[in-house]
Amino acid sequence: MTHRAHRDQAPDTGVTYVFAVCRGTRATRTADVTGLVGMPGGAAVRLLPSGPLTAVVQTVPAADFTDEVWQSRLSDPREIERYARAHHEVVSAAAAHGPAVPLPLATLYHDDDRARRALDDEAHRFHRVLKRIAHHAEWGVKVYEPATAPEVAEPVTVGGGGLEAPAAGAGLAYLNRRRGVQERREQRRERALSVAESVDAELREVAAASRRLRTHGAVPGGDGRVHVLNATYLVAEHRSEELGVLVRGLGERTGAMIELTGPWVPYSFVGEV
Amino acid sequence: MTGSGRAPGSRVDLDSEQMGRDLVALVLTVVELLRQLMERQAIRRVEQGDLSDEQVEEIGTTLMLLDQRMKELCDQHGVRPEDLNLDLGPLGTLLPRD
Repeated sequence: MTHRAHRDQAPDTGVTYVFAVCRGTRATRTADVTGLVGMPGGAAVRLLPSGPLTAVVQTVPAADFTDEVWQSRLSDPREIERYARAHHEVVSAAAAHGPAVPLPLATLYHDDDRARRALDDEAHRFHRVLKRIAHHAEWGVKVYEPATAPEVAEPVTVGGGGLEAPAAGAGLAYLNRRRGVQERREQRRERALSVAESVDAELREVAAASRRLRTHGAVPGGDGRVHVLNATYLVAEHRSEELGVLVRGLGERTGAMIELTGPWVPYSFVGEV
Repeated sequence: MTGSGRAPGSRVDLDSEQMGRDLVALVLTVVELLRQLMERQAIRRVEQGDLSDEQVEEIGTTLMLLDQRMKELCDQHGVRPEDLNLDLGPLGTLLPRD
């Protein structure tokens, strides 16, 4: 079947887009991918077996995926979203049948033969990653510090240091006010960091691997929440419930707002492929 | 070659008024950074207790007036105080956020 598809395609108009790489099990070999849309303008999504691995691929128009076109696409958030969603949909569908290594957006090969060769060349690494992510899912965790720290009222007078002198004019009052603001900020920062560290440390206990990502700082939209931890964890399926319980418990204990998202296809844990 | 359709520049919104505002915001950000550094330094010295009461009062008043002046400048140029910052990527932001 793949063979015919390959022959039908004119050699210089189609290239092979690879979404994900799975083990060539019976489940993946017989998986029905025909219902998937894939990339805009592409042919039907199909399976491309090669040895013990099977790739989920699609023939897409070469002219639509040149560096030039892709670069201009990158500058348009709506276009990027469209392509990323299409990519993600196929990857998720592939992952439903067993472990699947998601490949980066716009992974292209000249033709099926090249794609197969890449699979064969990298077979060891694919197998290693497949083993690592099998029966595991990625979970995203975001921790936010609430806008109003409960201890706001008192620190203005903390650590007097002889400053409450009688000659308190406007200048001194101003400095003291600023000092209070600074101290509160420092306290909040320290608290936020320690919350982030303890959440991360406890979650790492249930995770097979973890990655810290950049935090976004103050949340746009102005509710004043501050993003203090942005991390992602590779968690075994049988421990995902434990993770949920732990996150709820941590939220209650620390008073921070903890956002758990997932399960995701472990995009963040296949980087070495 | 293969007609890229739109010129790449057409996606960039070159609004000179916006650029002017951005430049003002950048300048004010740098000034605010210096002001905050001076303020921190002043607070540190006050805490160390090596300034006389008059000196403390004078420094405090100066910093307060600078703060007021900054707010006026922001108002005049339609820049919000929270716009006065730079995102330094992994290093966080130039000015601390409240």
